[in-house]
Amino acid sequence: MANNKAPYRTAGRGNDGSKTINFTFDGKAYQGVQGDTLASALLANGVHLMGRSFKYHRPRGVLGAGSEEPNALVTLDRGKGRVTPNIRATVLEIFEGLVTRSQNAWPNLKTDIGAFNNIFSAFFPAGFYNKTFMWPKSFWDKVYEPIIRNMAGLGPAPSEPDADVYASVYGHCETLIVGAGPAGIAAALTAAKSGGRIILVDENPVLGGSLLSVPNDKIDGLEISKWLANSIRTLQKMRNVKLMTRTTAIGYYHDNFIGLAERITDHIPNITPGVSREKLHRIRAGKVILAQGAIERPLVFNGNDRPGVMLASAAQTFQSRYGVAVGNAAILFTSHDSGYAAVFDLADANIRIPIVVDVRDEIPKDIRAQAKQRGIEIASGASISKTHGSTRINGVEIYSPSTGAKRKVNCDALLMCGGWTPSLHLWSHSKSTIKWDDEIAAYVPDMPNENAVCAGACNGDFGLLAALKGGNKAAGGRKTYKVTARNFGAGTTFVSLPSYIDTSKQKAFVDFQNDATQKDINLAVREGFASIEHVKRYTTIGMATDQGKTSNLNAMQIASNAVNKTVEQVGLTTFRPPYTPTTYGTFAGYRTGDLFEVERKTPMDGWAQEHGAVYEPVGIWRRARYFPKPGEDMDAAVARECKATRDSLGIFDASTLGKIEVVGPDAAKFMNLMYTNPWAQLGEGRCRYGLMLREDGYIYDDGVVGRLAEDRFHVTTTTGGAPRVFRHMEDYLQTEFPHLDVWLTSTTEQWAVIALNGPSARKLIEPFVENIDLSPEKFPHMAVREGTICGVETRLFRVSFSGELGFEINVPAHYGRAVWETLFEAGKKYAITPYGTETMHVLRAEKGFIIVGQDTDGTVTPGDAGMEWAVSKKKKDFVGRRSLKRPDLVASGRKQLVGLLTENPKTVLEEGAQIVADPNQSIPMDMIGHVTSSYWSESLGHSIAMALVMYGFDKEGEDIYIPIEGNTHKAKIVSPMFYDPKGERLNVV
Amino acid sequence: MLFSQDINISEALQTNALSMTLMDEKTRYSLRIKPKDLAAFKKASGLKLPAKIGQSIRTSAHSYLCLGPDEWIVITANENRNNLREIFVNMTAKFTYSYVDVSHRNIGFVLSGEQVENAINIGCPLDLSLDTFPIGKVTRTVFENAPIMVLRTGTTEFQLECWRSFAPYICGLFDRFAMDL
Amino acid sequence: MFEVHCPYCNEKRPEIEFAYAGEAHIVRETKADELTDQEWAEFLFYRDNKRGDHHERWWHQHGCNMFFNAVRNTLTDKFVMTYKMGVKRPTKTQIKAAKNGK
Ligand SMILES: [Zn+2]
Repeated sequence: MANNKAPYRTAGRGNDGSKTINFTFDGKAYQGVQGDTLASALLANGVHLMGRSFKYHRPRGVLGAGSEEPNALVTLDRGKGRVTPNIRATVLEIFEGLVTRSQNAWPNLKTDIGAFNNIFSAFFPAGFYNKTFMWPKSFWDKVYEPIIRNMAGLGPAPSEPDADVYASVYGHCETLIVGAGPAGIAAALTAAKSGGRIILVDENPVLGGSLLSVPNDKIDGLEISKWLANSIRTLQKMRNVKLMTRTTAIGYYHDNFIGLAERITDHIPNITPGVSREKLHRIRAGKVILAQGAIERPLVFNGNDRPGVMLASAAQTFQSRYGVAVGNAAILFTSHDSGYAAVFDLADANIRIPIVVDVRDEIPKDIRAQAKQRGIEIASGASISKTHGSTRINGVEIYSPSTGAKRKVNCDALLMCGGWTPSLHLWSHSKSTIKWDDEIAAYVPDMPNENAVCAGACNGDFGLLAALKGGNKAAGGRKTYKVTARNFGAGTTFVSLPSYIDTSKQKAFVDFQNDATQKDINLAVREGFASIEHVKRYTTIGMATDQGKTSNLNAMQIASNAVNKTVEQVGLTTFRPPYTPTTYGTFAGYRTGDLFEVERKTPMDGWAQEHGAVYEPVGIWRRARYFPKPGEDMDAAVARECKATRDSLGIFDASTLGKIEVVGPDAAKFMNLMYTNPWAQLGEGRCRYGLMLREDGYIYDDGVVGRLAEDRFHVTTTTGGAPRVFRHMEDYLQTEFPHLDVWLTSTTEQWAVIALNGPSARKLIEPFVENIDLSPEKFPHMAVREGTICGVETRLFRVSFSGELGFEINVPAHYGRAVWETLFEAGKKYAITPYGTETMHVLRAEKGFIIVGQDTDGTVTPGDAGMEWAVSKKKKDFVGRRSLKRPDLVASGRKQLVGLLTENPKTVLEEGAQIVADPNQSIPMDMIGHVTSSYWSESLGHSIAMALVMYGFDKEGEDIYIPIEGNTHKAKIVSPMFYDPKGERLNVV
Repeated sequence: MLFSQDINISEALQTNALSMTLMDEKTRYSLRIKPKDLAAFKKASGLKLPAKIGQSIRTSAHSYLCLGPDEWIVITANENRNNLREIFVNMTAKFTYSYVDVSHRNIGFVLSGEQVENAINIGCPLDLSLDTFPIGKVTRTVFENAPIMVLRTGTTEFQLECWRSFAPYICGLFDRFAMDL
Repeated sequence: MFEVHCPYCNEKRPEIEFAYAGEAHIVRETKADELTDQEWAEFLFYRDNKRGDHHERWWHQHGCNMFFNAVRNTLTDKFVMTYKMGVKRPTKTQIKAAKNGK
């Protein structure tokens, strides 16, 4: 091209050649042109060596020209937090200032020390790692793994947090077309006429697919480039058509749900902060047309991985689309007619074709004629037995099996063509079936499992005309096309190419990316792996980042040959999403950092933050855990908060408590069924502690329930339990008790809840409360009233989770903070102290109140928890009632909830610690229970704990032991009611 | 007392492409009425409750949204609050039904602009095209990890409501979306 | 992510609005006291875990809030039909008809 001096640059169509782009590869500066990929730009500069292989560190060049590339993997370095490994040079678009590095080579690509793996490759057969590094076990961490990690593998994982942001979106369309080659474009032109929403996606930066690589053909009398430009213009004008480039359909899921990964900024020199790098489109399509094309199959022969050996179609693409000659002298090695089209195009661009080696004896006459016309010699019935060169091919050895003759021919590129493999990846993701087609020796689509159809080469319909017709038909058209194109032709599959060298001595690669050879497959079969899924895992064929796009069919044919079965009998390995490697960022989309998960905050959260709260997560809520004063640690803060509350007044944000309003004439009946307690006799304005079981008899949730009216209950649940309790209630109401006239409404977020505890609680609120008589006689413990506080309507509960005089003030959420602040201000004269969840836990443990989910674990019955008192003996039915008589629930020896007092009053046990009866028993000891809650009690001056212990109730007064890391603690089993067991403090006047 | 929803909407969400505004204090009631009583209830109460799930009716005073086979939300300005509550109390004598005050449970937003469908679709999987989601349609659904309710109020205008503690998360997602515009 | 046809909304809606709710048509025992421990255990814990057309419950949690029944093929993971709570368990013929109708 005119202004680019790269030595192998010729004329191309995909790039405009007008703009020179500077980039570096392994620190060396190169020039390419706008529209180049890294691969085409390097090839233009005569650079074929782009990587080292995974296992043997063999030098590798490009194999393909598209997303199927297994060899040329590089690391893209866009600065801190923007280093991406394993990018295929064939899809990486160059831009001004691009910095890339080769991988898996040390100290550099040309002289890689790890290449001794190659010399000793006889010691690295399939299964080598699994077999060799098994023993001794201790060697794994310290010796084997570091060595393997150092020597094998692909690019290094990024070490910095990703500096980029990503996007994700849902979308809908009537027709989604994957692949914008001739079939996809023909389908889009046809489908667009229906008026429905059409999305046409292609992973390339430009639309056209294979049309970009065949410059000399014509469609309906138009040159390909003209037809393509016209078609794209037509589609761009239609408002119902969305054209998406740089977008890969990565996965096909249930009910035509397709994941599209769009790359937005990777090809742009300057990244605007905040703009998403990639976007995941989650598309629901009415119909899907897959026009993904086919991938050319490599030939498996000795030395087929030397840099300069590549697919014939890749050379054709580099030549025709990018204007890059892959060498000065290119030999074709083929078993299929289509390979000739590539070398003819190269020959027409003045690249010397020293010879074509065709494995077949018979070659179509017209091909022979065309070759003759170009002066190209064809060696038919021949094979290539060796390739020469080190980091670049410089010749081949041609072997004629009929005569045994060998001959060396020089070249600097070797093109191979072993036929074509339709791309069935997405089709297979959708669980649509495939069938073997003997004629093309490949799998083709069979029965769809979704509203989907394949068109063109991915349907096994090869050639330009077939692609156009296939695409048109897939979209419901019946158009005919006039095409002047070379015949796609046919080919023969050779499982084993003729050679005089024993296969065990050949380096004939099947899976280039995982360095697996023909020899490895044969070894796997010899060792008894007959299923293709086992062969795959043993040899690792198809398990690298390219998922065997170029290797799967060759591997299956070699394996089936080795076990004397047909390919069909051997079966196909499973295709799994994503189609091509996809960044984690794309999957995360917007959901990173603060948006990774919802963090629910109460209306008073901001006040807590301003007052130095330390938070803890409770479910997806964040709650203030304690409010340290300067210099205080958690223990000091909690001790102070506990004391202040018991001495005078503590204020606590209980807004996260789940709330459900149960309304209707049958509300009490429903409550009777859902909770163990009796509700019918509970008077209006009274509260009761409710205990909820699952049908299996275990404690599910608990909470205080207030009866606001005959037909209205205000139910509270645990913070974490709110969603499941609502579901549990709705489930029973809708499916088991639909005859009851009662309705449920979640009101968790309707109310902000301010809990005031301590002897001064009533004194504080008295001046602010209207329409409620707060006197102990009129408003006793466990009562609820409706009125106003600070002029705001309230549901005022007189309840206590601390053992002190307590009120829970419910106010509409968006007044919560204002009421809190008013009370806090006024409370200063009572030394009001804000406290968090930690102090709340201590205060309740001092009273022996349980926390569902901490002191119970889904296997604890009311009896186990010492809460038989909460279970109605009179009710005929409630959820879980029958299960309480299950033999294993009434058996003796169940773990029961008790209190523990440590021998050393200063010892605070670890929650979760195991309990034993005999500390001198030899290991393994009999564990008879575990600690569920454990705190320092400032009020009592010693530690307290709760525990679930076998026969716990019978053991009151006995000693048990808690062995923890060489230190065995002794503790006495006591009643868990540690503080004010008579409950006198509730009655403060 | 100070009414505070504690929500800040960034300037990035004040463009023609996408504009987001916070609704002020509203009265919201959740209504549960047996479908067989609906006609009589409407007549007795004068409330314009639509009969089918997904339908909404907006009068000068109230928005009536049908969310389930026996479930409605009535949203109204605070000045109508006492009036509405009186109606509900009166109806208890005539009908077996449920009304619950959920005014402060929800935070409401109005989203508008030519990007509004794309914006909601960053987290909501529903097809919001006018054909399948016409003006007046309402439903509960999800917005990534947050349960939401969406109501289409115009060709390029939606009302979106969520439980109050989910609002910052939702605003955060819209904020990120706006940065890509 | 599949789509589920909610029989109350009468619309296909995305899977993430729904929650699975276990096998369908297991009626809660009203005379639990009269059951033996074995019978009660069977009601509580024993499930078909069927390979093929499975009758199961779903909850349109983030939609109309209704529980409903469905026949879903556990081999193909495709929904055959959905129907309202209280509707009788569909017969094999009805299931077949639903399959053909699609
Ligand atoms: Zn529904």
